[in-house]
This record gives sequence, C-alpha cells and structure tokens, in this order.
Amino acid sequence: MYIIGENIHIMSQRVKDALQAKDARFFQERAVAQVEAGAQALDINLGPRKKDWEEVFPWMVQTVEAVVDVPISFDSTNLLGIEAGLKKVTKAQPIINSTSAEPERLEKVPLLAKKYNARVIALTMGASGIPVGADARVTIAIEQLIPRMLEIDYPMSDLIIDPLVLTVSGCQEYCPELIETIRTLQVAWSPSPAISVGLSNVSNSVPNENRSLINRTYCAMLMGVGLNMLIGDPLDLKLMDTIRIIEQRDASTPVGRLYLKINDRIAASETPVFDDVDAGDPDQMAIWKTVQILLNKVIYADAYLQLT
Amino acid sequence: MPPQVEIPKDSWSGSVTTVTLGATAAEGGTRSHTVTVGGHKSLPFMHFEQKMSHRPVVALEIKDHRPEDWSPLLLELWGQAANDPASWAKAAEQAGAELLVLSLSQTGSDGNPTTPETAVAAVQSVLKASGLPLLVFAPGQAELDNTLLVPVAEATRGERLVLGICEDKNYRTIVATAMANDHLISTRTPMDVNLAKQLNILVRDMGIPTDRILMDPTTGALGYGIEYGYSVMERLRLAALQGDGNTQSPMIVTPGAEAWKAKEAKIGHDVPASWGDWKERAINWETLTAVALIESGADIVVLRHPESLRRVRAAIDELMI
Repeated sequence: MYIIGENIHIMSQRVKDALQAKDARFFQERAVAQVEAGAQALDINLGPRKKDWEEVFPWMVQTVEAVVDVPISFDSTNLLGIEAGLKKVTKAQPIINSTSAEPERLEKVPLLAKKYNARVIALTMGASGIPVGADARVTIAIEQLIPRMLEIDYPMSDLIIDPLVLTVSGCQEYCPELIETIRTLQVAWSPSPAISVGLSNVSNSVPNENRSLINRTYCAMLMGVGLNMLIGDPLDLKLMDTIRIIEQRDASTPVGRLYLKINDRIAASETPVFDDVDAGDPDQMAIWKTVQILLNKVIYADAYLQLT
Repeated sequence: MPPQVEIPKDSWSGSVTTVTLGATAAEGGTRSHTVTVGGHKSLPFMHFEQKMSHRPVVALEIKDHRPEDWSPLLLELWGQAANDPASWAKAAEQAGAELLVLSLSQTGSDGNPTTPETAVAAVQSVLKASGLPLLVFAPGQAELDNTLLVPVAEATRGERLVLGICEDKNYRTIVATAMANDHLISTRTPMDVNLAKQLNILVRDMGIPTDRILMDPTTGALGYGIEYGYSVMERLRLAALQGDGNTQSPMIVTPGAEAWKAKEAKIGHDVPASWGDWKERAINWETLTAVALIESGADIVVLRHPESLRRVRAAIDELMI
C-alpha cells in the first residue's frame, strides 16, 4: 500500500497555529513522524493562502524537504501557490492534488503537472458534482480525465484517478458504489491508471472514537477490489496493522481472519455474511456492524455500534 | 387469451410499531376513544401485499390562544372559536379532526412567557372540551419546553398524551416525564435519516417502550423541499420494513404548519393573477403537501384548515380501496 500521509492539513488547529507562527520544527516533526510510520508521500493542505501563497508554499517545501526525501502532494485550489511550491522541489517527483473534470481545472492543472513533471490526482467529479453511481464516475474518468491527459501528451503512468470517498454519515449511498467504481476503473482502460482515495473522508463527521474502525474496515474492503494507494493517517496504528494483515495474509488472529474474509468476499463480488463472524467476539461484531453501514445495508447513526 | 401477468409481491421481515394514542376511562384516562397508528408490514397502500393495518390519521392543530402569526384565512375561518383553546378544540373536533395537536405558544396573549399554570389550564380545558386523543407540543425552546411539559404531564397522568417535541439537544426531561406519567413522546430531527435513527436510539436508551414513540422526520412544504422530506421518510420506512428496529416508529409530520409558511399559501395580494384564488391555492398547498407525505409513509399528518382535512381524508379513503 502506497500511503500519502494526511497529517499536515489546515483543518487541524495545531497546523493552523504552527503555520501562523512559521514553526518549521512542528512541520518537520510531523513530516518525519509520518514517514517513519510508513508514509511514502506527504499530502500538504494549507488552504488557498490567497494572501501569502508566494511566501508560504516555497517555505513549506524547503521546510519539509530539509528532513524527508518523499514526494510532496500539493493539496490546494491555488494554482499559483502550487506552482510557487513546485519550483522549489528538489527531491522526489511531486504530486498535484488535484484536478477534476470541471472544465477550468481540467484545462489548467494537467498543463501545470506536465510543465513541472508532477504526478496529478484527478477526481471523478464534473461541473455538476459527484455522481453517486459507479458507472457515472467511471465514465468521467474515461471520457474526460484520461482523454485530457492524452490530449496534452501527459505520461499515463503519472496519472492518479481518485474516485472519491464520501462520508458514511450523510452520504452513505456512495460508500458501496465506490467499491464498484474502483473495481471497474481497473479494467476500464489499458494500462489501468493508478487509483488513490482519501480514505479518512469516509468517517467525516463521525464521532472520533469510531473513525479508525470505520476507516480500517473500509480499507480492508477497498483492498479487496485492488486499492493499493491512499491518502490516510499513517499514525493510525490499527489502520496500518489492518493493511499489513491483508498484505501479508496474516490469519493468526480472529480479527485478522475476519478482515481477510471480508476482503476475499469483496474481491469475489460477494457480500460478507454473518456466518463469517464470531458473534461472541465484540471486536468482530463491531467490524460486522461497520461493514453493514458501509454497504448501506443498515442506516448509519452515530450510535450504530450500540445496536444489537 | 389475455396475457397472464403476475404482480410481484415484496415480503418484508420488519414492521412498523403499533402505537395507540389516548386512554379511555377504562384505561386510566378520560378520552372518548383511542386512535391507533402504525403496524404496517408493507409500503403504504400496497394492499395486494398486505392490508394496511391502520389508516393514516389526520390531526388538526390548535393553539393555546389566538395566534398572531397565522394566516388571516385561517383566523377568519376559525373565527371566535380560536379565542380560547376549549372552543377551538370543540370546533376542530366538529370539523372532523381525528386527533388534536395543541401547540403551546412561547408567550401568552399578554406578551409574557407562557407559564406552567396557563399551559396546564389550556391542556385541561381542551381535554374537557373534546374526547379526542391529544398531542401537546411545547414552543421549541429547551428550557421553556421542560418547564411547561413536566407540569402538563403530571396534571394529565394516564391520558397517554403525546408530548413533544423531543430533539437531540432536549429530550431527556420530556422522555422521563412521559415515562413517569404514562404518556407518549414525539421526536423530531431535521430531514436526515441518520439523525432520525440516532435520536430514536437515544430515547430508547432511556428505557421508553417503542409503543410510546412517534417520530417526526420533518418535511418542507410543496415547493420547499418536500421531495427531500419525502425521500427521507421513504428511506426510513424501507429500513423499518427491512427490520431496522430504530426506524420503526410511526411517522408524524406537520404539513399544515409548513404549507401555511409558504408564500403561495400565505400571501393573497401582489401575486401574479395566474396564481388564482388565494384561498383555493392555500388549501391546495396544504392538501397536496399532506397527501404526498401520506404516500411516503406518514401515519399522522397535522393540518390547520378543515377543508384540507376533508380533502386529505377523501384522498385517504380512495387510497385505502
């Protein structure tokens, strides 16, 4: 699993404060911690920085590249800021996060990526928003995103399609559709494009205590359809362990066996069944209930784990 | 030979909870009869799958004193009856209401906050004036609601009133007093399946039996988000039938209050002539809002105009055939 660490994000108050104070050490520690935990790239979201982009983007590149060698993923809507950052990159091939099929973005962002030899994440989202259905999202990829890349002679191996994770709390119907989107995307084009998702989005606006469980259960399901790249939290030890269990097919624990079973069922286009679960094990029951909400079989509620 | 068509039938593992409102003297109350809703084992009006166990019920909303903010069309229609809750209750019963909803105001007619004493007096006068089962909805301000509903619940112990409205920020006191005084509750969440289910979990967690819970998933009026409300109700009802125990409460909605907020119902002057007769338009707005919601699974619709009530009942009659 190629993990793009998500922990430098302006939504975090500590990141906001550190940026305000130009606290280089804070960002360097966050960068190192994520890379040591297994991140192979770092997503950096500082917001649009409409006023100080000229200063902030280059500063951040220099700050982070002083301590780690991994690619930087520029997660911003401010193309001027991204370009200012790209100019300062001296280490690994950077990533632009992101373009969509929205005409203005699709016009400009791929050209910028080509100019600076950057990879680009392209969202399956058009001018009219994010379609629910898998087919509609695949159609955006093969009729709009990929043709645009071919049009400008952009190397397909540098394109990363992001079919978009939405939260189970409010957009539940999207959750099972994403699984099928990833399954189909891999055979919709040859060679199949790289695919990445923002995993933690699946638990946006979910109470904190349940976020990791939802993230890692969804991850196990998505790995069943071949997901091998994601933006997520490498410091979430349970998520990292779930990824390891599936990659190594480690069936040495009951919970690990259940994750593998779920992963195999999804891989085989089957629905996980209750017989896969040891109902006497609370951890397995929690995973089972999580699968039920992620497949949109049971309506999500914040207290979904309390339900019998 | 005509082609043989087999109509596919769904069979569901879950059902909607049966809830009885009101208590007669034999049951510890003073109502002339009770009203039972819910119990469904299939989607609304799919009689070829399952007979609907209880038909949707139409309630009329009355206030504790003559409201300032209601449409002049409504005030004119109710006339003197709207001057006090007892005469209004009688008039509403005569107009064909199957249930009464007494909405308590935030302030009295003197402009001061409604007191527990006046709230209790209003509820008791309504109970005396009409034998219909009663729902009492507080103004919707957490602290005031609790101050008013607890004494109301205590003064009417055993009547199986419906106390409302339980919301996520304010439900504990209302649920507790409903349980202590043998009443029911109505929950309300803002057009969201997840929040509706979550609140149901929370109130049930306090131990209130499921046959004492109504849920209001909230709706908008025709033209003001009704399709969103419709979809939420439809989804909750499908989940209920699929066996999700926290979506199985009968649904109550307030198309009357919503429709009479819409400018099409509210405004009679300076509107395009093509909008037609004001009164007819307003009644249509309320009726169409209510009937759409009944088709998406509403068990109780709360209306404001007796003519809308008559038309909605006629629509239900036809749907029940």
